[in-house]
Order: sequence, then structure tokens, then C-alpha cells
Amino acid sequence: MEEKKFICVSCPLGCGLTVTLDNGEVVQVKGNSCPRGAAYAKSEVKDPRRVFASTVRVKGGKLPVCPIRSKTPAPKDKLFDIAEAVAKLEIKAPIQIGQILIHNVCDTDVDIVASRDLEAVK
Amino acid sequence: MKYDVIIIGSGVVGAGIARELSKYKLKIAVLDKASELPSGASRANSSMIHGGFDDKPGTVKAKFCVPGNKLWHELKDVLDIHLDECGSYVCAFNDAEIKHLEELLEQGKSNGVPNLEIVSGDKMREREPNVSKDIKAALFSPTAAIINNFEAVNALIESAKINGAELFLETLVTGLLFDDEKNIRGVATNKGEFSAPVVINAGGVHSGEISSWVGDTSFKIIPTKGEYYLLDRATQGTIHSFLFSCPSKAGKGITVLQTAEGNLMSGPTATEQDNPDDTSTTPEGLAEVLKGARRLVPDFPVRLNITTFAGVRANTESGDFEIKTLKNPRGFVNVAGIKSPGFTSSPAIAEYVAEMLKEELSDRITLTPNEKFIPERKNIPRFLYLDMAERKKLAEKDNSYAQIVCRCETVTEGQVLEAIRRGARTITAVKMMTRAGTGRCQGGFCCPRVAEILSRELNIPLDEITRHGGESKLLTGRTKEPLLKKSKEAE
Amino acid sequence: MSNKNIDVLIIGAGPAGVAAGIGAKKEGANNVVVLERDWDLGGILQQCIHPGFGLRTFREELTGPEYMHRFIQQAHEIGVEFRTNTMVFQIDKDTNSVWTMNKDRGIECLNPKSSVLTMGCRERPLGAIRIPGTRPSGIYTAGTAQRFVNMEGYMPGKKAVILGSGDIGLIMARRMIWEGAEVEGVYEVMSWPGGLRRNIAQCLDDYGIPFHLKTTVTKIHGAERLEGVTVAEVDDTMTPIKGTERFIECDTLLLAIGLIPENELSRMAGIEIHPVTGGPVVNDLLQTSNPSIFAAGNVVIVYDLVDNVSDEGLIAGANAAKFALGKLSPDIKKIPVKGGENVRLYSPQFVTGESDTIIYMRVTHPIEQACKVTAEPGLFTQKLRYARPGEMNEARIKAAQVKAALEKGSLNEIVIDIKPL
Repeated sequence: MEEKKFICVSCPLGCGLTVTLDNGEVVQVKGNSCPRGAAYAKSEVKDPRRVFASTVRVKGGKLPVCPIRSKTPAPKDKLFDIAEAVAKLEIKAPIQIGQILIHNVCDTDVDIVASRDLEAVK
Repeated sequence: MKYDVIIIGSGVVGAGIARELSKYKLKIAVLDKASELPSGASRANSSMIHGGFDDKPGTVKAKFCVPGNKLWHELKDVLDIHLDECGSYVCAFNDAEIKHLEELLEQGKSNGVPNLEIVSGDKMREREPNVSKDIKAALFSPTAAIINNFEAVNALIESAKINGAELFLETLVTGLLFDDEKNIRGVATNKGEFSAPVVINAGGVHSGEISSWVGDTSFKIIPTKGEYYLLDRATQGTIHSFLFSCPSKAGKGITVLQTAEGNLMSGPTATEQDNPDDTSTTPEGLAEVLKGARRLVPDFPVRLNITTFAGVRANTESGDFEIKTLKNPRGFVNVAGIKSPGFTSSPAIAEYVAEMLKEELSDRITLTPNEKFIPERKNIPRFLYLDMAERKKLAEKDNSYAQIVCRCETVTEGQVLEAIRRGARTITAVKMMTRAGTGRCQGGFCCPRVAEILSRELNIPLDEITRHGGESKLLTGRTKEPLLKKSKEAE
Repeated sequence: MSNKNIDVLIIGAGPAGVAAGIGAKKEGANNVVVLERDWDLGGILQQCIHPGFGLRTFREELTGPEYMHRFIQQAHEIGVEFRTNTMVFQIDKDTNSVWTMNKDRGIECLNPKSSVLTMGCRERPLGAIRIPGTRPSGIYTAGTAQRFVNMEGYMPGKKAVILGSGDIGLIMARRMIWEGAEVEGVYEVMSWPGGLRRNIAQCLDDYGIPFHLKTTVTKIHGAERLEGVTVAEVDDTMTPIKGTERFIECDTLLLAIGLIPENELSRMAGIEIHPVTGGPVVNDLLQTSNPSIFAAGNVVIVYDLVDNVSDEGLIAGANAAKFALGKLSPDIKKIPVKGGENVRLYSPQFVTGESDTIIYMRVTHPIEQACKVTAEPGLFTQKLRYARPGEMNEARIKAAQVKAALEKGSLNEIVIDIKPL
């Protein structure tokens, strides 16, 4: 039996979770206030993921950069690869919120989407 | 580049001399190593226009302080400078100090300070209810005033420029040039040589070093740091005048004042140091200021502090100003060791220097009056102080005055643009000329906006904009660049 | 729209202001105008590009711009008028006139039937903590740095030290890392974090950024660009401990040392400001001491969650509309709220019982054990596992209970507190 402790990042409560593992399998989660905490604990042990949020360079936009995010949480150990992939990208305004900018970024099955509207300027 | 006169340093002394000499047909160059004016002690001081009772009769300081005071009251309107004719009090807490007030009163009378009087503590508190109940009496000097020193120095140099003088910023004098007779021929700088038969050393805290280049080591500059607290303008009205403690051997002591713009302020300490350029504040210094401030104003609201700063003044061993032309080399003029009351004295010093050039250096330059001299200069419009009708008029004429850049001090884009037209190239230059960034958020809001305007107007990339010249860039490049660099390195 | 007959004028189109516009419109006000000094709507959330917003409101975690997008769309749909690039620079005390400026419209004077203050908050600057040393470039509040990075596309520096552990500072630590910069550590003078625990986990721990409690920056070095800072541990009186000083080379110092409600305009308007919250004194209708002026969001009290800010905006907007339409009784009885020993600040300060309400509060000292929030007499009680200054607590008050107590004549004040069980 092995015990792991971490803070749940699912919501602002930030519950302190204690996870008991048996041969790598989660057998118990303590400290969570809701089912999402339990789900987070299981994911964090086996396949830790985070939402990635950054900006991409924009040509001809009202702003020189546009905020982006991973549509869904991406594998934690791929975040820097994703950051690099996003850094290489340059897109043209106008941009719509939710517009997919990179499909399946770094083979993670995760899409990078724009997180705001950005109008073009002449 | 050939000039008649080169002035090293564009503090209040150098700028004042430049303006005074621009009343004559002279080609004048003013050189300053800073990226914006004022820098040095003219930026970081008590912004006091002293009454003139403090200086021992017979000293050079005593000779210039009272006339300087009078001249500033005239220049206020001519040059459109904020000057608060608030008067000053020297506060006595015991009988020995009251006795000292009487001595100061006599000294002031002999220096020609008008309308000095000793008032009781209670009388003083009628006007200044927030001062210590322990103040027994005070010497009131009604002609003492507080000046906006940022405006004053810029006003002087702008006026000089209007009348033909040239200002060179970021120009560090690295040495002097001599002719075959070993007399002054000009100066060497980081931007090349400047020629002139007369060089005036108004180098402030560096004036001793510059003087040593011609072998005049008759005086020594002792860099003396003064630390200050500057409080939020919400403190306006806590006091209305300039408060001194009774002077002691250690100097004039910690003062409390309300700046010309309404901020409560306190300082300075007087710490001697070797480094003329060290303007860092210290825990000890700030603690000393706070103690001194609370002695005069017990509820000094330090929680409303918006910044602390320090200036280094050019004290001398003699404690007096060093103003003279040298016999050897000819053409070199020292206007050195100008410490308190230097700001007050500077217009009178400038007049004296002009007379000195006429009398003592007539073989090198001739001072012919410039009939076209324009005495007046207008400040950049101060939106904050305009009434609503004036604001509307300004905004209708130029819509950049309908856009706030600095919300603490209500500075408009129009003012920033005008500062740039008048030569501002850095965030601090804009701050000195418009007060953008001097308020309670200390540039948190306006610094990026001012940077954008500078970038746009001067057509330079945002990451080249500096806070105060040199390596003080605000930004270190574009986002994504560090990642792309790493990625390239990995390949 | 003309400037005549403005029912509700809202100052600031951040989350509180946009919600206030929606609230006012839904309550039946005709002409609802929201003024925004920026070119864009959304306020500070436009630069908060990280996820973490709106879990309560939308049941999903959105980024700042995404969160605002939903509200702004709704506001447009129901006919809220927005005026961007329009800054309010004065409110007259006696007439409640609001002076605005805009490059196209010039300087204008607006006389709405009611107003809502939604100016938000600003960051505490360096001067507020009086760190000795020099004043080089490279020192920014975390929010200013965030604007440079996320809106302008520029890096404030290459190697940062972060002073203070407010959420923006934690978020910026991760943001700097994701842009390829270094973050040496986060230093917090208190013995507890200023921001949310999950931000310490996902912004610092995830990237191995050291977090130092009871440690602060004691000196700033560098004449032109920042060259480094000295940090030192502090004792219980927050005095630096001799011998613990350490020099850290860095070119950037980011400050996350707290937020202050932005009330310059409120002061001009002569509104009573609470000495502890720094925001207007309000009742549960979010009405200030001036009956025609309402206030909501971080201008009143600094919230943890934008959801709360939007909720309060809706309430303030609705009540401002009621006032404008003459539907708000001028003599509603107000019960004062008092904070107990461990309550540092709270809002609202008065309860009317007109509708159900939430009293938001923060504890002075952390309670790291089971405890309970109470609103006496007998209006609310809730058990908590802990209470921390960085995390706001709530007392939910039922209007019916307040009314009933009022009828009995037994309600002179409401006392809120958080105590260990």
C-alpha cells in the first residue's frame, strides 16, 4: 500500500487529497469534498493533465497576440512541447473564439483553440 | 561643434545659467549625462525655496539665498511654474530652541529676509492643527515657498532652448580640452568633442571631480545622501507649509512639507558616502526620517506612502558654495558645491555668473544683449488643474486631451504628446514633464501606456523604450522568442 | 443613444459592470449605459487568459476572455449600450453628475437617474511596502506584467522573483515559465499564502518553483535595470531577521502584494468609504451612502471568485434599475452587520431583508481546524473544515428570517463570526 498527497485543482476549494494506492491502482481517496475530487485524484495518479493556456502571434489583428487554450486538459509532461508548438504558430486575424488553431497538438489528441474573438485591423 | 559656452550639468544651476546666458548673443551648449531632466540632486530634494535666515552672514550662500528667493517668485509667472507661497516654520520644542529661534530671526534680518516673526506654538497650530502639541514656538518665514522642482528645471532649460541654447542629454563629459597655451578649448564626451572658450562646471555632486581635472582641488565634494518619504495626494491638507526642526550641528534636520502638488513629504537624512551616484534608500535612513516626521507631525500617515527616494547633494568641507573663474586654465568656471539652499539660490547664482563672465572672462567671450530674448515659457497644460470649461476647450481643439493616460494625476495623452514634442524620450522624462506616474500607483497603470505612446510617436519598438535611459529597458523582447530560441538550440 | 434619459449608468465594463448592465435591463430599465475606458469590454479578465473562471456560474472552467464573452453576448442581446474608450474622470458630489471623456465625443456631462460603480480594484504598488534600495526598471505589479505578456506580447524579463503570493502572482509565475523565462521563487511575508491553494499546487509545485513563507524582499539592487534583490526571513512582528539575508540575482521583480478597491471616483462623489474594505459602505441592495449610487464587485470588497463579482453586479444593476424606476422605497430599514473577533472584513455592512443575501467575509487569522460561520441571532450557521484569510467565507441570510425577526422587534444588529468548533 502506498499513500500520495496532493491538492485538488478542480475548483477553488483546493481540497487536500490523500490517495491510497495498491500496486498502482487507486483504492481510496480521502479529503475530497465532491466526486470531481475523486476523479481528479485518479487521473492525477495515472495520467496527470492540465489545461494549457497561452497566446499565439497574430498578423493584422487588433492585438499582436491572441489568447489560446487547450480545449481539454493535456498531458502534464507534454505541456512544454505544446508551448513550443504554440510559439511557432502565427495566425491571421480575424479570429473567432473557439476556432481550432492546432488539431491534435503534439499527438496528444488535444486541440488548441482561440479563447477570444479578435478583429482584424487595416 | 563650436560654442561660446559649454555648461556641464543641467540641474537647476546649469539650466539656470543657460537661461541667463541666453539673454546674450551666445552659442550655448548644455551637456548632461542623464536621459531626462532634472536628474541628480535637482530631482531628489525638498523642493524648498528657503526664506534665507539659515545662512551665516558673510557666506556665499547668504549672498545668494534671499535674492534667489525673490527671483523665483518672479519666475513663477514668467516661466509658468507651480510655486506654493506657503511659508515655513522652524519649530522649537524647548527654551534652548526658542533662544535659537531668536538668533535665527536676527540672522535672517541681517540677511535681508522680509517679515520674519516668532509665533507661539498655539498660534502656529491655528494654521497647522496637525503639528505636535509640544511645539512651543516657531520662526515663521512668510516668503519661504515650495516649488515643483521637476517643472522648474524643465522650464529653465526650455526657456534657454527657446532663446537658442542647445541641450545634449546622455552626454557624459569625460575630460577637458586645452589649447596650446593650456587654456580651455572645450570638452570631450561620449558623444564626441564640443569646443568653446568657456566651460562652466555645474556638475553637481561630480563638480569636485571635474574641478580636479584642472588641478583645482581647493574644495572637496562630500556626497551626502538625503532620503525621503513621499505620500499619496490624499494627504493634502495635513499641513500647509514647510516645517523645519530647529537646526543642530547635524544640519537642518528632518522636515515635513506639502509638495507644490499637494503630497505630504518628509526628509531628508544627511548621510555622507563615497559614491556620488548611490541613490538607494536604506532601512536606517527611512526609520530616521519617520522618527523625525512624527516628532513634527505625530500622526504622519506613513501608511499612505507611495514611494521612497534619495538624492545625493554636493556638500563641501567648508559648507559653502564654490563659485569662481580660474586664472589657470583660463576659461574654466566652477559653480560647484551647490547644496542647500542651492535650488533657492540658483537664479541669483546665474545672474552672478553672467556678471562674472563679463568682468573676468571678457578676453574670451563677449556678452552682447540678445534683444530678441523671450522671457516667457508656458508649461504643458496641466489638465488636472483646469476648470471644466478650459478642459472642454482643450479637448475640442485637440482630442488627445480627451484621453487619460495617468489616472492618478489625471494626465492626458495630449500632455504626453507635448512632452515628447519637447524632447521627452523615456518614461521618466514624461514623468518629469507631465507628472504621469507620480501618483499613488507609481506608474502601474500609465507606464505601459506611456511606453506605447513613446514607441508609436518615436517609431521605436516597445522593447527599446527605457525607464531612464541606458540599460533601463522596460521589456526584454517579444513573447515566444525565448521558446523559439530554445527550440532552435535543441535542433 | 443620447445622453438624456439614461436610467442606469454603469462605470466600468469588467465582470461587475457587464453583469450590472444585464441586471438593470432585466429589471426593466430602458436606457442602460455601461462606460469603459479601454477599447475593449471585459476589464481585467481580458488579460486573465488562464482557466479557472465561472465554475459556479457555468459548471465549467473558462478562461477570463471566455467567461466575459458569455456575459457580453447576453448584454448585447438584451440591449445594454456600451461606450468604450470612455473614461469617467469626475463625479460631482451634489448633483451626481458624471463627467466623461472620449476622443470622438469630447468631454460630456451625464445625469443618469441612478449609477452603479464597477471600477474594480488595483494592485498595491511597491511604495505601499517601502522596500529600501534603488528604483531600476524591471519591477512590475504582476497585473502590469500580465498585460505586457498576454495583451502586448512582450516579456517583462528573463528571470523573475515574485514578492507576495496573491493569485495573480502565482498565475504569472506559471505564465513566465510557459514563455521560457525563469522564476527563482515566490516570497510571502505572512505565514500563510495570499492566494488559493490550488494555484500554489498548479502554478508553483507543478514546476518546482520554491515558495517561501515568512520571507520578504528587503533590498532592491541595480541602477538601470534590476540586478537583484536581497530577501530575508521575518519574525512574528514582520521584522527581517539578521543573518538570514540572501542576495538573488534577477532582472525582474513581480509584485503580488494585494489588491485595493479603486475608489477615487467614489470619494469624489462623497460616498462613505469603509476604512477596512477600502470600498463603499453598502447595504444588501448594494446601495451606497448616496441612495442613487450603487456599487458592485471588487470596487466594494476584493472577491476570490469572478462568479461572486458577477452575482453582485446583477444585484446592483437590478436595484439601480428599481431606483431609477421609482420602485425602491426610500426608507427601508437597515440592520447593521457587525464582524466578530476573527472577521477582518466583510460586505455588505447593512441588511434590509428585502431579498435573500450573502454576507461575504474574510478571517483575520487562519483557523486550521473544524470551525463554523455564524450570523447571529440565529440567521445562519455552517460548519467548515478550516478558514483561511486567502479564501473568502459566506453567510447566507434568508430574507424571510430577517423580516420575521424584524417584526418581532428583536433585530437590532447582525453579528457574523468564524470560530473553531
